[in-house]
Amino acid sequence: MRLGFFRRNATMLVVLGLIAVLGVIGWTTMGQQPFVRTTLSGLTIGALYFMVASGLTLIFGLMDVLNFAHGTMFMLGAYLGWQFYTNPTFLFGLFPLIFALLAGLVTSPILRSTFMHLNVSEKAQKTIQTAVALAGIALIVLAVRGLDILGLAETAMVATMSMGNPLAEASAQEPLAVFWFRPVLMFLAGLLLAAAAARPGDRTQVVYAGDKRQAWIISGSLAVLTVTATLFRESAPNAVLLWNGNLRFFAALAVGALCGAGLSAAVEVSLIRPLYIRPLYQVIVTLGLAYVLRETIQVLWDPLAYQMTRPPMFSQPGKAENILAWFSGQNLTVDVLGVTFPSYRLFIIVLGVLMVIALSLLMNYSRLGMIIRAGVQDRTMVEALGINVRKVFTIVFMLGAGLAALGGIGAAPFIPVQPNMGDAFQLQAFIVVVIGGMGSYSGAAIGALLLGLARAFGDYLALKFSLSPAIAEASTVIIMAIVLLVRPAGLFGKKE
Amino acid sequence: MDNILEINGIHTYIGQFHILEGVSVIARRNAITVMLGRNGAGKTTTLKSILGLTPPREGTVIYNGKEIQGRRAYDIANLGIGYVPEHRAIFRNLSVMENLKIAERKKGDFESKSEFIFGLFPDLKRLFRLPGNHLSGGQQQMLAVARAMVADNKLLLIDEPSEGLAPILIEQMMEAIRILSTTTTVLLVEQNFVMASKLAEYYYILDDGCTVREGKMADLVEDKELIHQFLGAALQKGGQA
Repeated sequence: MRLGFFRRNATMLVVLGLIAVLGVIGWTTMGQQPFVRTTLSGLTIGALYFMVASGLTLIFGLMDVLNFAHGTMFMLGAYLGWQFYTNPTFLFGLFPLIFALLAGLVTSPILRSTFMHLNVSEKAQKTIQTAVALAGIALIVLAVRGLDILGLAETAMVATMSMGNPLAEASAQEPLAVFWFRPVLMFLAGLLLAAAAARPGDRTQVVYAGDKRQAWIISGSLAVLTVTATLFRESAPNAVLLWNGNLRFFAALAVGALCGAGLSAAVEVSLIRPLYIRPLYQVIVTLGLAYVLRETIQVLWDPLAYQMTRPPMFSQPGKAENILAWFSGQNLTVDVLGVTFPSYRLFIIVLGVLMVIALSLLMNYSRLGMIIRAGVQDRTMVEALGINVRKVFTIVFMLGAGLAALGGIGAAPFIPVQPNMGDAFQLQAFIVVVIGGMGSYSGAAIGALLLGLARAFGDYLALKFSLSPAIAEASTVIIMAIVLLVRPAGLFGKKE
Repeated sequence: MDNILEINGIHTYIGQFHILEGVSVIARRNAITVMLGRNGAGKTTTLKSILGLTPPREGTVIYNGKEIQGRRAYDIANLGIGYVPEHRAIFRNLSVMENLKIAERKKGDFESKSEFIFGLFPDLKRLFRLPGNHLSGGQQQMLAVARAMVADNKLLLIDEPSEGLAPILIEQMMEAIRILSTTTTVLLVEQNFVMASKLAEYYYILDDGCTVREGKMADLVEDKELIHQFLGAALQKGGQA
């Protein structure tokens, strides 16, 4: 039994042992202080890599969706969380429009059941679809034209400049008498797009019983949400700004992750679902989506780099003598084994470790994890057992993107918030997934740890021997090459 | 109601191919009904059409007095229909235990059935913790049938249970299906005519996507000419078992 444990976890033990040996060598040759500092910053980077890679290992490793918009989710999470933290007016002003659009979009099954029986010649079908879709997009443009929410985005920049306990202001918004037509137009635009997606006249479509009822329910609840969001769009941000900074920060973590998850749910249902059998198209769609989202962000905030302030609990002046002292002092930095280290980065490490544990529990011991592992192999059979596989896959996609968005907002207080901030992380996450083995979360954890440490120690060595810092960046690729030479399926990958 | 399942003239397309062109089958409660026919006659597609995996475009499927065609597959399965697909479709990266647990519709399904299942297939108890890909073909087939028994299913759709099994295992499988049929209804697709004739009470013969003959198994066994006409090739293949 005991031997079995070692045999089963041989790879894990070998890798961890290797890291430990390198650690001892590093400790003795580098001296305590530089070693601890480099290790800690390696762990911080590793934790961030893991947040992005754990989502990618679900989406790319398990579901086999080549998602090139994953880094974009990281970036979006950072922007949305940052906005919620400093200037919630923007988000709350946007919610009614988004909910209204979705309320219209989800009516597609209802429209399909009637529209598919229309008498439209095959030639006219394409024209009608395109025309209706274009009309929908035109309505969206009309709906957001002159919306002063776009100006609000820029006030965030001012808000970021107040350091310490960041107190942003809620900017004024359009009065309801002017605003009301925007959600209405958005809803109509959603209806038009749904009508185009319903492919009028195409009788080969299958409409499942029950889908229509579900569409009514979802659309109805979204409509209620729209109305609520419209009414509270002014009072909600003010209320949020009255919260204390720490609470607002943790709420921002949740909001960033939830917005990422919500958006990706819409993406999965509308764009990815029809393409599960066409991997090449997934690349094109997700790559296109990444560009569209990034450009949208650039339009809203200009291609500038912002710095999100740290929440008060990580920004009180002074240094905590140890981690326990930090709990009472909430200082900017903490003394760890003689090294002065930012307390926020320790928080990121803790967050990363918590996520590793939560994910491995979820995947290995929960029913959802079991269904995911089974569904990836044989969707049809899982469905035949009475499980709504499509819903499960949407949940997995949401979970993966939500994790990336959470990583983004977690990283926002110490890396610049800018439109391309996710790109490097996405590349590293792909490398992590490949090193760890497709679809293995322990693999993703070890891979992220390896890459993070390699990055930090690479930087240290480059500085010490005055080499180009590119050596640190190259180290990740070198590690990948070595791992793939020894184990073509990745550290924890299963041979097919 | 004597009939747990009534399929009335269903038409099913896969892509642009018209696979079923009017299949009508009735499964009588607590009896074994078998669908026979040559390869490509549409037997497997009929099972998939019942479950909604390949939804029929025309015709009705009535289960327990309710029309179920056009519903989602998981929805239909949750009405109490178990499915043992051709080629077993065992989840290779799940353990035997997980393969059974995943079929639960409510918590505790497996615990309450485990004694019955291990009584039918004692091998599975021994293999409980192994991953699905370590099982032999016969063991996988047993696991596939066992998986369909975990939930409280009133109707089992079993596709070619004898496929690729050694004769001794076929005997065991037949015995298991016979015991199963005392509590549930079984709709079987089987190429092995000897096995089918020993098990089933009623038969349907499918040819080119249509139901062409139906009746009591006892009558079919006598009718050598009919067997030869529709099942000739199939009979030679599995006949010796």
